[in-house]
Amino acid sequence: MRHPVVRALLAGAVVILAEIAISQQVQTGTPKGAPQQPAYQNMTQDQRSAATRAFLGLGPEPDKVAAARGGPLYQQNCAFCHGPQARGATGANLITSDEVLKDDHGERLAEFLRMGRPEKGMPAFATMPEDQLKDIAEFVHVQVEEVANRGAYHVLNILVGNEEKGREYVSAHCIACHAPGAFAHIGSKFRLPEQLQRGWIWPIRSGSDLLAITATVKTPDGATIAGRVSLVSDFRVTVVDHAGQTRSIDRAPGVEVEMHDPLAAHQQMIMTLTNEEMHNVTAYLETLQ
Amino acid sequence: MRLASGILVTIATAALAGAAPSVPHPSPDVSPNVSVDPAVIGRAPVTSWPTFNGDYSGRRYSTLTRIAPSNVNRLVQQWVYKITDVGAQRGAPVPIIKCTPLLAGGVLYITIPDHVWALDARTGKPIWHYDWVDHGGHLVGQRGVGIWKTTVFFQTPDNWLIALNANTGRELWKKNYADARKQYFSTSAPLIVKNHVIVGVGGDAMDMPGFLEALDPVTGNLQWTWWSTPRKGDPALTSWPNEPASEHGGGMTWMPGTYDPALNLLYWPTGNTNPVFAGQGRSGANLWTESIVALDADTGELKWYFQVSPHDTHDFDNTTAPILFDREVRGKPRKLLAQAARNGFFVTLDRVTGKYLVVKPYVPLDYFSGFSLQGEPIPIPDKDPTVGGSINIVNATNWQAPAYNPQTGLVYVNSVEGKAIYYLTDDTDQPSGYGGTGEGIGHSERVLQAIDPLTGKAVWRHTYPNLNNAPTTLGPSILTTASNLIITGDDQKSAIIFSADKGQILWHHELGANESGGVITYLLDGRQYIVFGAGDSLYAWSLPQ
Repeated sequence: MRHPVVRALLAGAVVILAEIAISQQVQTGTPKGAPQQPAYQNMTQDQRSAATRAFLGLGPEPDKVAAARGGPLYQQNCAFCHGPQARGATGANLITSDEVLKDDHGERLAEFLRMGRPEKGMPAFATMPEDQLKDIAEFVHVQVEEVANRGAYHVLNILVGNEEKGREYVSAHCIACHAPGAFAHIGSKFRLPEQLQRGWIWPIRSGSDLLAITATVKTPDGATIAGRVSLVSDFRVTVVDHAGQTRSIDRAPGVEVEMHDPLAAHQQMIMTLTNEEMHNVTAYLETLQ
Repeated sequence: MRLASGILVTIATAALAGAAPSVPHPSPDVSPNVSVDPAVIGRAPVTSWPTFNGDYSGRRYSTLTRIAPSNVNRLVQQWVYKITDVGAQRGAPVPIIKCTPLLAGGVLYITIPDHVWALDARTGKPIWHYDWVDHGGHLVGQRGVGIWKTTVFFQTPDNWLIALNANTGRELWKKNYADARKQYFSTSAPLIVKNHVIVGVGGDAMDMPGFLEALDPVTGNLQWTWWSTPRKGDPALTSWPNEPASEHGGGMTWMPGTYDPALNLLYWPTGNTNPVFAGQGRSGANLWTESIVALDADTGELKWYFQVSPHDTHDFDNTTAPILFDREVRGKPRKLLAQAARNGFFVTLDRVTGKYLVVKPYVPLDYFSGFSLQGEPIPIPDKDPTVGGSINIVNATNWQAPAYNPQTGLVYVNSVEGKAIYYLTDDTDQPSGYGGTGEGIGHSERVLQAIDPLTGKAVWRHTYPNLNNAPTTLGPSILTTASNLIITGDDQKSAIIFSADKGQILWHHELGANESGGVITYLLDGRQYIVFGAGDSLYAWSLPQ
């Protein structure tokens, strides 16, 4: 056993963290350009979509109710040439079309559809009622939204791994630290598989004393201060000791700081974990309901 | 789309000043007389900082030595200018200065999206303030202005190039060069080269092609356009499955490039490929996205390219500065170019030919299987984003400026070491937009590295201790000086000065926010100043008189 000291702590920690994670929204922060709002990660999908729309300056929000009415009309009349998601087929890609992007809510597109573009082989929809033409326009705007608004993206079904191989990986790699049975019901503690995947690889540290980074600080006068680290930089270390007292120590010459990270083994694992191993373990843990 | 119009705020007359509440502390005593001869822009900056990188080389190196290791402990804050008259902007609750200030004729020019200020460099007080009302665009950042004679050039989020009188802030003309409804947006600082205003553009939400334009500084007329992806008849089209994929292939030009006056070549870094994370609809290398391109400054003609990330699927967005420097290699003087790329590779090229000398990872990574004959890293397909998730590195750096010091011969970069899980969210054979997403996993840390560009190896490294993950899209820029200084910061509000040769910490000071824009230095009234933005404030430091 490589890490006997932390074994018991971590066994409990996974469960505690799993419970914490239940209340969290799925974290899909993009590497680039999440809106600068601290609560972004805790927003609902609709809130995140609206925040990203504002952040990107995406213009007026499409009318989803009208788009739902327009969907069947689009598929019947337009999809053959422009593709089922308006991304083009024999006809143009509408997602990046000037005619579409100049329009907000059908005020231009309805007229365009009524006239058609006969010289390019696009029929005129002269007899279609105005409200139906506008519904088609809204459907196309929703297709644009689903491309351009990455705050509205959904992770697909990530359960692509092999459960049996995942069980073998856990037996071979995880029991060195975690007690047998530590993962019982772990699958039921996360709302979504992607939360489980994130949660077992890198448990959420905040709010958990068991996963907190701790430090022992020795000062030149011989004093030793130990506790949970709340800040560390080149110049300062702040620890909260067992009595709950916060101590901030300047990292002057002679001050020694020794840090301990209960998740160090997970950090190492992340550096070498293969995609197949990740998928297999997630598939296995998802079965532990 | 309604035509946007700028709101001009000036203090040219007392009556106007009274009607201009957005100028908090006007300095009516200051009547600047700024004029920058474009012929001097490429020289070593001493009493001015007239272009984004100080000079055209991208080295961010100053020959000034008055501030030195022996006296940095006596640095004193001279003034602070805090932006107080701009509230929350779309997606940005507080203003963050991400520009590199320009200095000319005793006037500092700073920006945030939609706003330009001219400040008195002696006091930090505003001389004029230009406030643009945008109609779309992405307010994620603004890198600064360009200056040509008495005209200041500013790019707006909705892609207008604004020409302003450098002394009054009066709008001279404006020109729209890209459509914000196609998700083009602008954050760049225009690069002034001779009689060209070089304008780059951003925006990768909707599969648009990147381009670079040169405009006339007097009239705003278009001089040339270079497209980041090939068009019909171009042999480079073989790096795309078809022409529509190329025409929607991305490759934005959102960071200022560098320029060699002797070769008359612009060196521009091109951004990520589109669709961003979903590469299954664009088989091939996808030229000239994710590249360093050398363009004739007068015609925009492509002379050579080096593709740093062929077939990118990780938003490696190759926008860090290509730094120009000359060195002797095996007894021969060479004109070189180095880039610490966001894909984690350090690249050194011959800037005459584009042939590589060094291509080497500078952060831990395992996503490539080898190199092409041209020296380009070959990505492993298994590391592409997938529905089930795929682990790869986070961006190894970003737009924040690196530096090169000719005395140490080292390139300095604030890198990030960490991993993310990349998910494919659009697994159709016709993906569009981002088509995926990424989520950091594990701890990621900021590491200041001093890299020998002739070997690609770090001579020294400094890991900034931090409980929190290093931000990947914001970070401290770097300035280096002839007095052996590296001036930068951490992600915990400290400005830090290191020694350039050894990486020893010489000085630090806690600010109100993280250093967030470019760091500049100059002589004014015989004193050397260090100036940089941190959050909503611009700080000026110097030694006591």
